[in-house]
Amino acid sequence: MQAIEGILIEPVGCLAEFPPGPFQWYWNLLQSMGESSFSPSVEALEIEAVNAASIYADAVPALRELRAMGVHLSIASSLSEAAIARFLEKHCLGEFFAAVWNRDNAGGVRAVPLVRAVQCASLQPQNVMFLTDTAEGIKIARSAGVHPVLMMNDPDEARRLAMHNPAGGVVSLHEISDFIRLIAAQNSRGPR
Amino acid sequence: MKKISIYKPSTVDEAIQILSQHGTSAAVYAGGTDLLIRLKNRLEQAPTYLVDIKKIDHLRFIKEDPQGGVEIGAATKLAELADSRLLQEKYPMLVEAVNKISSPELRNASTLGGDLLQEVWCQYLRGGYSCWRNGGYLCYGAIGDNSYYHSAMGGRLCYAVYPGDAATALIPFDARAKLATPQGVKELSIEQLVPGDLLVDGRIQSHVVRFNEILTSVVIPPPKPGVRASFEKLRPRGVWDFAMASLAISLQLRDKTIDDARVVFGGIAGRPLRETAVETVLKGKILSTELGEQAMSMALANAAPLKYNATKIDMAKGLLASGLAKLNA
Repeated sequence: MQAIEGILIEPVGCLAEFPPGPFQWYWNLLQSMGESSFSPSVEALEIEAVNAASIYADAVPALRELRAMGVHLSIASSLSEAAIARFLEKHCLGEFFAAVWNRDNAGGVRAVPLVRAVQCASLQPQNVMFLTDTAEGIKIARSAGVHPVLMMNDPDEARRLAMHNPAGGVVSLHEISDFIRLIAAQNSRGPR
Repeated sequence: MKKISIYKPSTVDEAIQILSQHGTSAAVYAGGTDLLIRLKNRLEQAPTYLVDIKKIDHLRFIKEDPQGGVEIGAATKLAELADSRLLQEKYPMLVEAVNKISSPELRNASTLGGDLLQEVWCQYLRGGYSCWRNGGYLCYGAIGDNSYYHSAMGGRLCYAVYPGDAATALIPFDARAKLATPQGVKELSIEQLVPGDLLVDGRIQSHVVRFNEILTSVVIPPPKPGVRASFEKLRPRGVWDFAMASLAISLQLRDKTIDDARVVFGGIAGRPLRETAVETVLKGKILSTELGEQAMSMALANAAPLKYNATKIDMAKGLLASGLAKLNA
């Protein structure tokens, strides 16, 4: 893996635990909908889920460390602009992100926010990780050319998702900084 | 098995030169009970160049120093430690621990240095999975079967437990390790030697020894007066397994009053885990039956078991109670 300069983060499941009930329903809806068919009721459901989400205890210290390391951090999500804005405001996370890409300002869902985030940050995709906890996330990261890294929140689900061949996986966000340092050290060491 | 080259240096300096020349592609070869298995299992991380240190003088000895302590050469066989009258007389708990490492056959081959610096025995690593220690970027133990070889005290990238017993048993004696490095001799406490998963030379490893350094000996200070110590170990198969949980405990007693204490757990974390909170509770107390309950309630407050290994914490606490009971008998 090449040196990592940027991380794209899907807040759902990577920065916060979202309520499984209504949000799962929404997520299923998202999978079945076309990209131009989001209604105000969908956005309201997203904001409801955001309001009920609880941020992971390690999120803020991990983001702070990554920023201190000079890693470019972007949100890249299929959520609406309003939902992402509410999420960042609620958890005071705005300061950590150099850019926030959502389905509204990126002009699409799934891989579209990722591609826009990489392009606008002038990063090479091979130097970028996308944190995700879904098979769909792994797939869209691959299609955008960035490295999908699995957030292994639930061991059983993570074991299933590991079959989708992510570039890596972490148990906790606080491991991402070590992940990046390891890759840097391996690259400076050269091939064995 | 991949093709390997073996060097047989006759001095430590020569060995360090060879290690420096080959970088992380080379590794020290002594007993071979860990290294050769990694090669046999075709692990990505196994070295290509082996630096056989068995013929180097002054690495295989057990000798008393003028202060009454003991120095043990890193290439000394575990069986030689187990049979040592000097160690039995001065540090019986260490001998007790060594006798619980592996099997008699393996103790005849394994060295003290090898036991201290051995690779983890996670079944996913040893099975050739592309994990953090084997060229990959994921811990399969964290999401798979972690009932045995994995940490119940959290982790950082790799969640395998540090498997050695010698380090756990040496920490209560305040033993120190001597390393030969290109810059000269370096001395570390055993806790500093094996601090758990960390990034060294672009690799995740349990110890701090760099690719061009060699552990040469372990120095144990003279036994303190009034010390009673015990080593407890729980393992699935009593004849030779790694610890599900282990405990090395030593109490320095004045009559029944505990003047000083060392409590170190093995087999439950990525390093030998010194439990200073329990040590603090024990100090100044009268050694009694009730103290076991109090110590158990204080122990391992930061436990973070994985899905299948919470029982390790119960085992470790049970060992603490039984260890204290044994020392109180």
